[in-house]
Order: sequence, then C-alpha cells, then structure tokens
Amino acid sequence: MIDLGEMISAPFAARLLGDAGAEVIKVEPPGGDPSRANGPFPKGVIDKEQSALYLYLNANKLSVTIDIEDTRGIALLHELIAQADVLITNQSPQALDRLRLRHCHLKSLYPRLIVTAITPFGLTGPHRDYTGDDLIAVSAGGLAFATPGMPDVITDPGAEPPLRSETPVSDYLAGLSAAIATMAALISRRLTGQGSEVDVSQQEAVAMNMAWDIAHASYLRPKGRTHEIAGSQPNYVFPCKDSHVVIVAFLQNHWESLLRIMGNPEWAKSPVFSNGFERARNWDALESFITEWTLQHSGKEIGDLAMAHGIPCFPAYSIGQVVNSEQAKTRRYFQSYKASNGRVVQLPGYPVRMNETPWSRRHTAPKLGEHTAQILGHRLGHSFRQLRHLRAAGVISYV
Amino acid sequence: MSNQPLRGMRILDFGRAVAVPFATQVLGWLGAEVVLVENVSFMTNRTLPPFVDAVAGVNRSGIFNLMNSSKLSVTLDMRKAEGREVARELVAISDVVTENLPYGAMEKVGLGYDKVRRINPTIIYLSLSAFGRSGPMKGAVSFHSGVAFVSGLAAVTGYPKGQPRMAGSVLPDFVGASYGILGLLEALYHRAQTGQGQYVEVSMSEAQTTMLPEAIADYSLNRIEPKRVGNRHKAKAPHDIYPCRGDQKWVAISVGTDEEWHKFCAAIERPEWLADLRFSAKANRQKNQGALDDLISLWTRDRDPGEVTALLQRHGVAAFPVLDSGELLHDPHLIERGFVASVPHKEVGARPMGTTAWMIDNQRPYDIRPAPLLGEHNEYVLKELLSLSDRDIGDLGKAGAMGH
Repeated sequence: MIDLGEMISAPFAARLLGDAGAEVIKVEPPGGDPSRANGPFPKGVIDKEQSALYLYLNANKLSVTIDIEDTRGIALLHELIAQADVLITNQSPQALDRLRLRHCHLKSLYPRLIVTAITPFGLTGPHRDYTGDDLIAVSAGGLAFATPGMPDVITDPGAEPPLRSETPVSDYLAGLSAAIATMAALISRRLTGQGSEVDVSQQEAVAMNMAWDIAHASYLRPKGRTHEIAGSQPNYVFPCKDSHVVIVAFLQNHWESLLRIMGNPEWAKSPVFSNGFERARNWDALESFITEWTLQHSGKEIGDLAMAHGIPCFPAYSIGQVVNSEQAKTRRYFQSYKASNGRVVQLPGYPVRMNETPWSRRHTAPKLGEHTAQILGHRLGHSFRQLRHLRAAGVISYV
Repeated sequence: MSNQPLRGMRILDFGRAVAVPFATQVLGWLGAEVVLVENVSFMTNRTLPPFVDAVAGVNRSGIFNLMNSSKLSVTLDMRKAEGREVARELVAISDVVTENLPYGAMEKVGLGYDKVRRINPTIIYLSLSAFGRSGPMKGAVSFHSGVAFVSGLAAVTGYPKGQPRMAGSVLPDFVGASYGILGLLEALYHRAQTGQGQYVEVSMSEAQTTMLPEAIADYSLNRIEPKRVGNRHKAKAPHDIYPCRGDQKWVAISVGTDEEWHKFCAAIERPEWLADLRFSAKANRQKNQGALDDLISLWTRDRDPGEVTALLQRHGVAAFPVLDSGELLHDPHLIERGFVASVPHKEVGARPMGTTAWMIDNQRPYDIRPAPLLGEHNEYVLKELLSLSDRDIGDLGKAGAMGH
C-alpha cells in the first residue's frame, strides 16, 4: 500500500491495514508529514522524530521521501504505484486533479489499483470543493449538534452551542471507514480482478455514526439535545465526592437496583419517578435528588457498588485512570512505543483481537526518509548516482 | 467493482442493541446473507421508541428497522433444547457468527466459540462487548454512556470549568461496530487465502480509546491531563460554533493560518481586524479568542448559516452549518451522493436512512432491503436453509422452539 497521506485520516487508514499485515510505504514530502511537528513531545520540546502522534499513526510503515510537486518526483511515485495494490490519500480533490492522481487518471495504467481518497465532503456533489477540518466535519455530520447534552457551565440550554470533543474524532472515523471500504474493494478485486475508486467523505464518516439519531428524525421527530435514552432517564453524569460519576439506570431493572444501593430513599416512592419517561419529564427534581446521594460517595465506591449489582454506573476516568486501569493492564491494551532517542511513550493498542492472525508491531514508525534509498535503490533499481542527483535537486531525501 | 463482495457469505447474528446489529447491517449491504436470531421474550430494539406515529409495535421501531435492514429474521427460543438445536444446525451452514450478549450468555446456550468451532471448524466468530471478554470488567454491562466515561472520550469533551460530557450519538457503539466490521473483513480475507477461521474480539472501550492518542501520550510522557476547552483548538483561532438567525441555527468556522485569517477578514469585509493588534497573529487571536468570538457572533447572528457558509467557502475559509439529524436527511449534497437511502418497509412504508461513509466507483454498491418483520423468514430458514420437512417444522412449533 502507498500512504500518500498527511496528519491523521489517511495515515490512520493505512496504519490499520498495515496492522492487518500489508506492507505500507509512506510517501512523505521532504519536510515530513506535518504530524511530525504535532507532538505531544517529551517535555513539550519539538523534535520531528519524537512526535507521539506520528509514532502512533505510522507504526508498521516504511518512509520514502519524495517531492510530488516535482515532475521527477511524480515519476518516482508512479514507479511505486505500479507495484502497489492500494493508494491511500487525503489530498484535496483539487490537488488530486492537478497531480492526476484520481482513479480515472490511473486505472488505464494500473487496472488492478485501488485508489482510496479521503476528502472533507467526497469527490462528487455540490460541496466537493468545500474545505474543512474536524470541527467542520463533526458539524456537517450531525455529531456536534447532538453533543452538548445538558448544560453545566452555560446555564441556558437553548443558548448552549453544539460541541466538539477535543480530539479529531472525524479524522479517525474517516480513516476507519477508509480501511473498511478498502478491505471491501480488495475482496471485490479477488472476484473481478479489477481495481476501483474508494471515495470516503469525512462528513459522511460522521453521519454514518449518527444512525441512532437519524432513526428518531426519520421515524418520529429529531432527537432533543438531552441525554435521555429512548425517552428515559437517568443516563447522565453527576458530581461525586472526588470527581464525577456516570449513572445509567433508564431501564426499570437497573433503576430498581440503583434505588437499592441508594438505600431505597423516601423521595423515590413518588409517582413522578415511577418509570423512565416520568423520570425524564421530572428531570430537574431527579437530578438534585441523585446528586445529593452521589456527593456523599467517591466515584470508585459508586462504581464498585454498581458493578456488584449489575448496573452500568462508572466513575468518570481521568486519562491517567484510563491508562492505569486494571482492565487495560490485564488485557495489555496500551503499547509502549520507543522514539529514536529511546524515550518510551504509551499509546493505544490495536482493538481487534484475532486469535489466528494476532496483531503485531513489525516496525516502529520510520524516521523521515529512512527507507528512501532501500526502496528507490534496491527495489526500483535506481543507482546511487541517480539517487544522489535527485537528493541534490531536492526531489528526495534520505538518511 | 463487484457490487456485493460478500455475496454467498452467511452470517448468523445474535446481536442486540446497536453495535453488532449495525455492523452486520453494513455486511448485509455488502451482500452477506444475515440471519438475525430473535426471540419474542427478548427483543430489545423492537420495543424501543421511536415508533412511527408514536404507536408501539414490534415492526414499527425506527431504532430496529434502521439498524437491521438487509437481514432475515428467524425467531428461536434458546431456552428450549429444540431451539438450540436449530441454532446449532444454522451454525453448521454459516460463515460467521456474531454476538454482543452479556458475558457468558452464548456459552450458556451452548454457542460459545469453543462449541461453535467444533460444529464448524472454519467459522469466524465475532464477540463484541463494552470492556472486552477478559479482565476484571469482563462481566460489567454497559451502554455507550458508560463507555464514553471509561474510555477517556468524556474527559476531552466539555468546557474548562465544567464536567466531562457524553459525546453525541451513541458513538462508542458505532466505533466498536466499525472495528467489528474491519476485523470480520480481515478474517474473511484471511480465510479466503488459507481456509482458516478464527475468533475476533472487540472491546468498545478500547476501540474508542484509539481516537485519543494525543491525550494518552501527553499523560504518558508528561503526566499532563487534557484540559476541556469547549470548541477551541490548540493550533487554530477563530475555531468555534457561532449562533445564526433562527432557533437552534449555528455555523462552524475554523481559521488556522494567518493566510486563512486574511481570507476570512476579506470575506466578511472587516479589513480593520487585520490591523487590530489583538488579532494580528495566530498567537494573539488565540489569546484574545473570547473578544474575537464575540465580534464574530455579532456578525453571524443576523445571518443564515447557509449564507455564511457559501460566502466563507467562496473565499476558501472552512465553514459549514451545524446540521441536526433531520437536516442530514435533507442535505442536498448528501442526497445527491446517495448517502440517504429509502426502502419501503411492509408495515411502515419508506423512511429515509443514512448509509455508508464511502462510495465505490461512484456508486453506493449496496443491497439495501427493508428490515424484516419479526419471524418473517422462519419458513425460509427452516425449509430452504435447513431442508426440514413440514412435519419437523410442526414439531418445532409444538415444542415452542420457534419463539412465538
């Protein structure tokens, strides 16, 4: 696979397929993928070989540095594509047209090639040339509108704006969708022998994940911006003694178990809390009663009690608690990554566990241009003289 | 491009709620024959609102019908030995088994992976759960909301002085679903090459955490917990969602580089902002983003989000209206691209739904058929798939094995 991606979406897609065993050659501009400058860095000091985001997104890849804005660079890219099964990119539609890297430009030369292109709004349609990023995609795809739930800092629910999470969810969703669609195209190719164009829209990658809310809009009316599930409560976060706790007891059996661990309080006998719908209707009163109880306990106390009673209530984990949880440790989920200077960073592992083809990290993320000479020289047969000449011209770089 | 790459594959689906039903629905669109095993006494989604016209009914739930299209429904009572026997016979003729039942439930009815692979050695078996099938939390039940708080997603969602929050949708379910789809496609690809089946396991919580590497790394390297920042961004300003004319009308605007800032000021005809020292470079805009957001809100609040978007995008500035789920179904761009589909259902008629994030060769290459009525395919499954005689079928009915 050729990863002609930068930052997150396309590199993440290529990473997932590399994790599944494909050889992934990452083609970077001579200055490197911008994610190399993103961090987080040890002590916050910028170092292009230490960016944790880069290390995460580019494990199981080889790095070749080519300036594709140069005609000699494009020729080298074509030599790589000629030997590839898949080209994955998140260049803009305009750049793909200009560089003649759309599937329509490539398919007569490489009929078995699959071209997977991730763009903000897709390769067709009235918004195809619109520019975007994660904020735009979560807004255009419906997730931001659905996110605020119930207000805390801003007290007027009608005035509270839609909300984005401070992690580019839509880039990861688009990468994940691209990996799935590319697998579907690879399975098709086994049947037809033909490559194809895989057109992934970042807006649609968000919208695809809104099926729950879309079902409400389609069947009755759009879902309100609250946390109730199927019109029922509680399904909300409350302050507790040391932090916050999420209380999920909209189902009647969970509600009754919750009342038991709360010591069957008098207030709960009121008919205004008798079922999930009533509890949603009388939410303000319910919230203050439950808060009175949660404030007397730590998140862990409530979580442990709830688990013993089979209710889905959990403390709100800090990131430290996520990393250090017994669950993550027992399952060996987080992986240690070593940067080139030997610093170790913990990063999320591969969440698909397969007993016959288990995930492994065959390569740590490459240094910039680490494999340029190996791939262009040994594999494509360019002489060292040619490579030195290209390097002097700034078309490639290598270490 | 083959329109249905999974044609000829059969999936026996014990999915409940969202994650596995959504995953197998996508595989059904890709051509697999998905046989959903249901039970009158335990139907989950068929009893969940919204219902068409707010009238409850097992074939009227939007949550069920829009997450179980392109499937067949067979009702089996797994508490009966005869029901379990039919399930085992279906396992023998399936390629994939999927489940997200509570821990141990499949084992209890004799359909754990070890038993299933003895019946069908090349089976691919997906087990999906909130926190995974091992570890101290393997028995914990959870919905998306619990997973949002345990995976770290809620920790990066919210405002500086506020509480952690749930992201919208039931996101961890869909993220788990996507990894389930990916794992199954990889396993099918591997089996096509080697003939070998396998066990595929996905934890929704782990799946969600793959989208938080920066927060995880900053904690791991520097012991820094992420700060919740509302809609702000560490490297962009302005970067927020602004009020527009009308009730619940909003527009998202994202400006990163100084070049984009120049385009933005030109687009909205505020050249004086370029000279304002508070906003002259990105670092200053970030420092003074509150003042900047107030000024931008004054400009957006009398305008329509579509009008703001058209103007800014014409100048190369990233902007888009904030759509709710109803607006997604009416978005002309999504409709033209075929993201929105509508198939007529026998009881509730044609209702719009979303499809996939991708097109292949400019097509939605899918086989979208309406969700099945409860038990609609009992006869097909027993007669066509299992070749049972009318007499056998009558006996199953008398034994109460068919779940009705």
